[in-house]
Amino acid sequence: MTPERAQLEDVLRSLGDVRYADVRYTATHAQDVKVRNGEVDHLASTVDRAVGVRVLVGNGWGFAATSDVSEETIRRTARRALEVAAASNLASTQIITLSDVEPHVARWESHYEIDPWSVPIEKKLEHLMNATEPMRGDPRIHQVSGDISCYRQEKVFASTIGSFIEQTTTQMGGGIEAVAIDEGEFQRRTYPNPFGGDFQAEGWEFIERLDLPKKALEIRDEALQLLAASKAPAGRFDLIVGSAQLALQVHESCGHPTELDRAMGLEISLAGGSFLQPQMLGHFRYGSDLVNIVADATIPGSIGSFAFDDDGVPAQRFHLVRDGTFVDYLTGRDTAPFLGRVSNGTVRAETAARIPIIRMTNINLEPGTTPLADLIADTKRGIFVETNKSWSIDDLRLNFQFGCEVAWEIENGRLTRLLKNPLYTGNTPDFWRSCDAVGDRASWQIWGLPNCGKGDPMQTMRVAHGAPAARFRNVEMG
Amino acid sequence: MNDERFALDVIARALDAAHANEADAAYVAVDQNISRFANSQLHQNMSEESASLTLRVIVNNAMGVATTTSFDADEIARTAELAREAARHSQPVPGFRGLYRDNEPLPEIDSFDDATASIAPAQKATALRAMFDRGREHHIEFAGAHATGAVSVAAGNTHGVRRFARTTFNDATVIAIGAHGSGYATQRALRASQLDLAALGDEATLKATLCTDRSEDLAPGAYDVILEPPALAEVFDWMNMIAFTGQSFEDGSSFFVGNLGKQLLGTNVTIADDSLDAGFLPFPFDMEGLPKRRVALIENGVLRTPVLDKTWADRLGMQPTANAWSLGSSEHGAAFHLSMSGGDATREEMIRSTKHGIWVTRFNYVNGLLEPKTALMTGTTRDGTFLIRDGEVVARLPNLRWTQSMVEALANVESLSRERRTVGTWYNMFGGTRAPVAKIRGWTITGKQERGSSS
Repeated sequence: MTPERAQLEDVLRSLGDVRYADVRYTATHAQDVKVRNGEVDHLASTVDRAVGVRVLVGNGWGFAATSDVSEETIRRTARRALEVAAASNLASTQIITLSDVEPHVARWESHYEIDPWSVPIEKKLEHLMNATEPMRGDPRIHQVSGDISCYRQEKVFASTIGSFIEQTTTQMGGGIEAVAIDEGEFQRRTYPNPFGGDFQAEGWEFIERLDLPKKALEIRDEALQLLAASKAPAGRFDLIVGSAQLALQVHESCGHPTELDRAMGLEISLAGGSFLQPQMLGHFRYGSDLVNIVADATIPGSIGSFAFDDDGVPAQRFHLVRDGTFVDYLTGRDTAPFLGRVSNGTVRAETAARIPIIRMTNINLEPGTTPLADLIADTKRGIFVETNKSWSIDDLRLNFQFGCEVAWEIENGRLTRLLKNPLYTGNTPDFWRSCDAVGDRASWQIWGLPNCGKGDPMQTMRVAHGAPAARFRNVEMG
Repeated sequence: MNDERFALDVIARALDAAHANEADAAYVAVDQNISRFANSQLHQNMSEESASLTLRVIVNNAMGVATTTSFDADEIARTAELAREAARHSQPVPGFRGLYRDNEPLPEIDSFDDATASIAPAQKATALRAMFDRGREHHIEFAGAHATGAVSVAAGNTHGVRRFARTTFNDATVIAIGAHGSGYATQRALRASQLDLAALGDEATLKATLCTDRSEDLAPGAYDVILEPPALAEVFDWMNMIAFTGQSFEDGSSFFVGNLGKQLLGTNVTIADDSLDAGFLPFPFDMEGLPKRRVALIENGVLRTPVLDKTWADRLGMQPTANAWSLGSSEHGAAFHLSMSGGDATREEMIRSTKHGIWVTRFNYVNGLLEPKTALMTGTTRDGTFLIRDGEVVARLPNLRWTQSMVEALANVESLSRERRTVGTWYNMFGGTRAPVAKIRGWTITGKQERGSSS
């Protein structure tokens, strides 16, 4: 069913004399398994096929897509893309420049040891039951659940500059949760992360390595303890943010504002703009000297990795923030020239049925040198927060508020009381400038987030963030 | 892929391939064009024709679901096998009494507009260019999106239920950006004739140019707020997820649990799922084939029912509300046609009656997961936040952060406007939210957008 190279190149030729065009095909396979309270809650498979044709005529982009991948329909879709491009020219006067890229003919596959689809459903269910059933029993535990998901996307890309690229990524995710309710109090603990757990570009070996059953009783006990815990205090505290929560902080307060399309106003209609404007490049103090944030689409095994983006540009590693200074954006071929630069290869679409736009890859806070134990030991009075519960940030990515599942009070260098419902808030550059210690490689972990939303129609992208624990001084809580 | 015969043929072939005593199927085909613009340039323009089939197979009251976008015999057979395999490994749903069988007649509603379905991309581009030109006269640049399209839906099951309907949508969002502020206007309609793009541009421009010479600050605290329909709609999107779904009711996280029949909110608060209202976005059935009806979720402040698909209604011993929007979804019901009743006030009367308060155009990035039992949410204001003093709009305010329990807020609604507006939602092609302007007492402001010290 996958279109042949000759067929796709024939479609491109049928477009006639255009400035640029590409055609993509995706087949996206998913299997989701969820158990809840000893029952199979959800067991579903999805196969989504799509072809998208993107064409630049004059200074107007046109895009058309179809789920019918027959030869006749693909040709009709190409003609529709031309019609749409012609319409764009009616309401656009800007000059579109594409940065240069070499033609590439390549094939790439992410690596896995055990094919997710080779593992029988009954084994997946057994694994989840083994992880969730031990959490039941206490009447205050209202719900226990577990998720395993399998994802594979096969993608073929052909463009008028002569590129023909085939890529396949295979990914797995898994996690468990316990919900405790008592007299109107509602508390949830998850492992290793909420919303389906953690996700990596690996096979079943990743699920085995997560070892969900081993963590089950720990999160059950914490959910129960949270019912009776004191509420995290309001006021200003030194805050240690754990790796999983800091990964989301990086996502919201660095990943999104460094998307050049946001900075150029191109995403204002839905997601908003960015406080990071091009005139700040190279000198704006985004964070303290300890803050180094890198975009790296080349990390093996991470769901934000690939070989080529959907412009056909090779995957790259580069700093967004170097020693605290804002130095680069995530860019694509039609946005990088706005800065006088070439694309750094971050344009992707959820499937071939969507327009490729700038998306995060693996956006990582680089590890520092301080062991987590020393971070805590060196804090006289503070709060340690971990695992995201809620997130909100304004349209320029400045004012944020995060809620976490759990917190611990720190007194005289020791973790003491468990605290519930911690909220912290701040202003992005002030927050990152208050970072006075960054955890070492041992506390650094890469977290897969398969649900980053952007675009219209909404595109859900699979991205990832590496982060250690880190400490921030004088942060507002509550 | 949009015609009735093709859609029902796919349904029939899928049900045949299921080889099960019970199965149901849903087919959704979309033909849409979305024109996105920014800096008064049409920068993204896309058309899409796509279709998908979801098949749910029941084996001994246990369910398995599979979805595909290909409809040849081999692919449908493979999809059926995946669904059967899932069902074999699943477990019986407690209380499940089988798929829908009653096959009642559907409500007679007109859900399709030929003029909307046939709007060409060039037609939209021309209208956008006119709006851009008008904005330049006022030193305004526009950003936003104009989406039009048609959706065809077929549903059927092994008990002989067969449904088909088509609907159209015409949805525009306009942000006007001036030198000193921005404004916003949005509307979703079923018909081309119901949406005036130029008028939305003017409405957004008015907000962008209001009080541009007067800006003030505001300390955190509790304030009276006047919320425009898009702000309420964003809150209701989250209420839909954390409070209205069958899943949130069953798992105990919804504030409806233990409170059905109780007067928890203000007597002037009535919220329904209403897809029969011809003035809204009518649609006749859900994906399980049940005829749609008006379902009061909150009636004069009394909590009535969550929305439930048939599976979860059976499980909970409650009545299904015809809110299955995807077969086998984990939400087990979602309100895609949320309609809040209006009152007898006007926006102007609300402003005149406010001594010290805030007029809010819209919210940004609301999150409702803080404390679901009280529907505690946070978010910021955006694209037009104004200070009201002594009954007059006197200054622009920065974007403000708020953190507020919606249970508390909806108990403190002072007045509602007669006029209501329909607003689209990103996750929902069939419906949207219809809301009035609301004046609410004691809304908690906790911070504001500020750039921090520059360097």
